[in-house]
Amino acid sequence: MTKLRTEHLTRAFLGLVAVNDVSFSMEEGEILGIIGPNGAGKTTFINLVSGIIMPSSGTVEYKGRDITYLPAHDRARLGIARTYQLIHPLENLSLIQNVMVGSIFAKGNGLRAARAKAEEVCASLGLTGLDRDTSKLTILEIKKMEIARALANEPEVLFLDEVMAGLNSDETRELIAQVQTIARERKLAVGVVEHVMGVIKELTHRVIVLEAGELIAEGPYEEVSKNPRVIEAYLGGAA
Amino acid sequence: MNRNLARVVATLLGALAVALPALAGAYPLQVARNVMLYMALAITWDMLLRSGQISFGIAGLFGLGAYASILGVIRAGMPAWASIPFAAAFSALAALLIGYLILRLRGMYFSIVTLALAEIFRIVIHNLHDFTGGPEGIVAPQGVIFGGSASALYWLALGGLAVALGASIWFERSKFHFALTAIRDNEIAASTSGVNIFSWLLATFVITSGIQGLLGGIFVQSYGFATPDSVFSADFTLLPLAMALLGGIHGTVGPIMGAVLLGVASEWLKLQMPYGHLVVYGIIIIIVILFMPRGLYGLARKMARPAEGRAE
Repeated sequence: MTKLRTEHLTRAFLGLVAVNDVSFSMEEGEILGIIGPNGAGKTTFINLVSGIIMPSSGTVEYKGRDITYLPAHDRARLGIARTYQLIHPLENLSLIQNVMVGSIFAKGNGLRAARAKAEEVCASLGLTGLDRDTSKLTILEIKKMEIARALANEPEVLFLDEVMAGLNSDETRELIAQVQTIARERKLAVGVVEHVMGVIKELTHRVIVLEAGELIAEGPYEEVSKNPRVIEAYLGGAA
Repeated sequence: MNRNLARVVATLLGALAVALPALAGAYPLQVARNVMLYMALAITWDMLLRSGQISFGIAGLFGLGAYASILGVIRAGMPAWASIPFAAAFSALAALLIGYLILRLRGMYFSIVTLALAEIFRIVIHNLHDFTGGPEGIVAPQGVIFGGSASALYWLALGGLAVALGASIWFERSKFHFALTAIRDNEIAASTSGVNIFSWLLATFVITSGIQGLLGGIFVQSYGFATPDSVFSADFTLLPLAMALLGGIHGTVGPIMGAVLLGVASEWLKLQMPYGHLVVYGIIIIIVILFMPRGLYGLARKMARPAEGRAE
């Protein structure tokens, strides 16, 4: 079942077209890699889909419903959740309270139900010491907390924007396994932006490649990584 | 242990507040009313501040409530007691309309617009001479509510404080706490977690403004008259702000501590040197902002649990 679809999605910042005519779709249970060189428009694309910014043209559809101009908080309620490349902890809330926010507002749960949900989600990510301040957390714990906050929305579509960045290889391996389990158990469609190709290779079923805002290739990682256009995008044009 | 101590202190303060009319004469009761009024205003200011929005509009909504109350009595023939909830409703309604227009502004822009509110209302009241009494003000023909009984006026002020306190504690224990803190910490993360930022800000602005209007109604009925310069006085913005800053922001306890300390200190200073208390206020605001941004309560909490390292 198609969870999310964009048609000709375009966003220009004055003269710069950050996302240009991108059409794609995400299926239930699919882990999709979104790759491309720096400045290719990956984060802008996620911002468009999650409602942080609005497109210049094109459409976004969620489960068949047009959500192109729906505000971010309404999309969160429908079932689209995300994390951020630059961490966004809510510093004046504890770890568990950070996670509860997703459940309270996206699902409309009461505080007690939200706490139970948050505890369940934290447990699935191996988070402990739930009443700690966010200033006491390691970077891995903050990343997990942000994933947990997104999962507490009980989303059907989840975007992870460079969630592995800054983690060492053991931590990365641990998180990859957890994301795979969570995606399978919760039947999520997951969009993953990563720069480390090992992560993409291991984690994703399919990738889309953006370059200068345009979608230039699509398919399983093994296939796409041999695509000459993709290689050129990453290595630069041969002199 | 900390929580038990807080409970004991709160109980003692509550008992003192209730017993005061039996123990004290008219002057201490008058001082207590003043302190409670400013305390309540400080609490309502802090409630909106928990979302990160700094309002300088307290005097505006307070004065609006004051005029709604006294004009409700004089022009619409309301009983004095009924004009107080009417004042709350009037300021809340005004806040709904104003908030709808200005709550998309942030930071300095929001603050400056709210700063103008008191001035705008004051000028309007000045100029609607026939209806409002103009610059000379307006006097309620039946005089002060409850016949001016010192203890009755004290209970009324305590009631106003109880409303502000109740609302603030409710904010701390409900979804408001999560919504406002999330908005203050990170609006983008809040919105993608489903927080409808505008609605929560509007609800908070309407509720706090309604309470400020209520307090304006209580104030004006306790004196039986209003002038634009008295009810829209900048004191009603600056003193609560100084109290909350001194005591500590983003919670109920700080404004209470600040109001007690500054309220009593300024009353004493007024007797020592007229208007000298205003100088002290200025100095306190500067010292607090420079050296203890979390106020006395924040400082006390920090000292209560020292040497907690930050894990990086």
